[in-house]
Amino acid sequence: MTARAADAPQAASFLAAFQASEAPMVMTDPHRADNPIVFANPAFCRLTGYAPDEVVGRNCRFLQGPDTDPAAVARVREAVALGEPLQIDILNYRKDGHPFWNSMTLTPVRDEDGTLRSYFAVLTDVTRARQAERALAREKDGLAQDIEARNRALQSALDQQTALLHEVDHRVKNNLQVISSLVLLKARRARDAACRDVLRSMADRIGALATVHRLLYSLSDVARFDLRDFADDFAAELEAGIDPDRIALTVDVAAVAVPASMAAPLALLVHELSVNAVRHAFPGERHGRVAITARVHDERLILEVRDDGVGLNPQSDNPEGFGRDLVGMLVRQLRGSLAFEDLNPGTRAHVVLPLGPGLAGAGP
Amino acid sequence: MSGVALRVLIVEDEVFIALELECLLEEAGHVPVGVATRSAEAIALARDLAPDVALVDIHLADGPTGVAVAQALSAQAGTVVLFTTANAKRVPPDFAGAVGIIAKPYSERVIRAALAYVAGRYHGGAATGAPDGVVLAP
Repeated sequence: MTARAADAPQAASFLAAFQASEAPMVMTDPHRADNPIVFANPAFCRLTGYAPDEVVGRNCRFLQGPDTDPAAVARVREAVALGEPLQIDILNYRKDGHPFWNSMTLTPVRDEDGTLRSYFAVLTDVTRARQAERALAREKDGLAQDIEARNRALQSALDQQTALLHEVDHRVKNNLQVISSLVLLKARRARDAACRDVLRSMADRIGALATVHRLLYSLSDVARFDLRDFADDFAAELEAGIDPDRIALTVDVAAVAVPASMAAPLALLVHELSVNAVRHAFPGERHGRVAITARVHDERLILEVRDDGVGLNPQSDNPEGFGRDLVGMLVRQLRGSLAFEDLNPGTRAHVVLPLGPGLAGAGP
Repeated sequence: MSGVALRVLIVEDEVFIALELECLLEEAGHVPVGVATRSAEAIALARDLAPDVALVDIHLADGPTGVAVAQALSAQAGTVVLFTTANAKRVPPDFAGAVGIIAKPYSERVIRAALAYVAGRYHGGAATGAPDGVVLAP
């Protein structure tokens, strides 16, 4: 009894504290029918818009409304049935019908014996935080959609570019085949042997350009051209036109990735130097060797074609004259230097071509 | 020319390419039996002429119909199909029944080597190694 008498002032001060608190609080009695509210502080009444006498004696479900999530309601009911604490965000409604987000802490209160005495709930209005959160989520969704739309636009632009590149590539290759066919047809019909030779050699030059274009777009990197791939292909073509017992051809070309812009003149240069050697260094039945080498040194491509044939011909009106002129023009176009050396026997053509910085690296 | 003389159908809509190809085939000892520029014409000619080999471009006068032509012709017993195309990316993974692709622009040497290979592999000629310049079907 003395204990109770001593408890009384303490209970009164607790009650005053709850009444004064800015946190909306409510207490229910699970021992009475339908677990009604037995206490609600003024902060609770301010938040919900109800007067104290409008809430005491009622179950808390009057705070629910049309958009309250039934799953949240079920979780509250379950926690109450099991006598467990619960923290939950639930959409509630004020007396005037305005909804608010209630972040609620529900605590079962037990006495010293562990018997459930009441439920105590502290409410927090988190409507603003929820609104900010949703605005942020909407903005994020909007941004994501924006990025997706931009990605789609970029992809479709890229697809168009790729389709265009394929189309142009196809036309270039097809036209080269047409040009080559035209020249070869004319060569077949030419009665004059010299005329036929001229047309054939033009067809060979077109063939070298054709090889470049076939190789250029077969790789994924359309900006580079592998000189070794070209040399392999070119050597096979050149060998098909010579007697291997009379002229031995060796090709030692490094895997150099040169810029695509250099591909055509470089290919023609290799073609002219090699064909000159094969055609003109070994007149009659003369036997010999032709060696084509290319390597990179100091960001420069060093190309050499050497033979052990009859040596330089000083006459400028000889058949190789045009080929020689082409070589000079191509080296100038590629901003390189060219030297012919008499090896006695034979000739060495030595070409040095600048490669752009960073482009001198070997291929894969 | 030693070796097997193949009867070859050319399916190609570029007249100069087709004409030069005919000359080249004759020079190599083969027999060009006809030129078709459209898909229906190609299929009808192949049925009538039963060629040993058909060289088929993908872009024909009636569009990119060479793949369908290759399918129809390779289903015909005795006919081997080779694509000759500047657009190898259009060839489906199964090559539509074709045995290989000759990439345009091709050289005379590659055509000769490809036909020698087909003669050896499918028409009783002397066997040759896989020709370079030709992408063989998987």
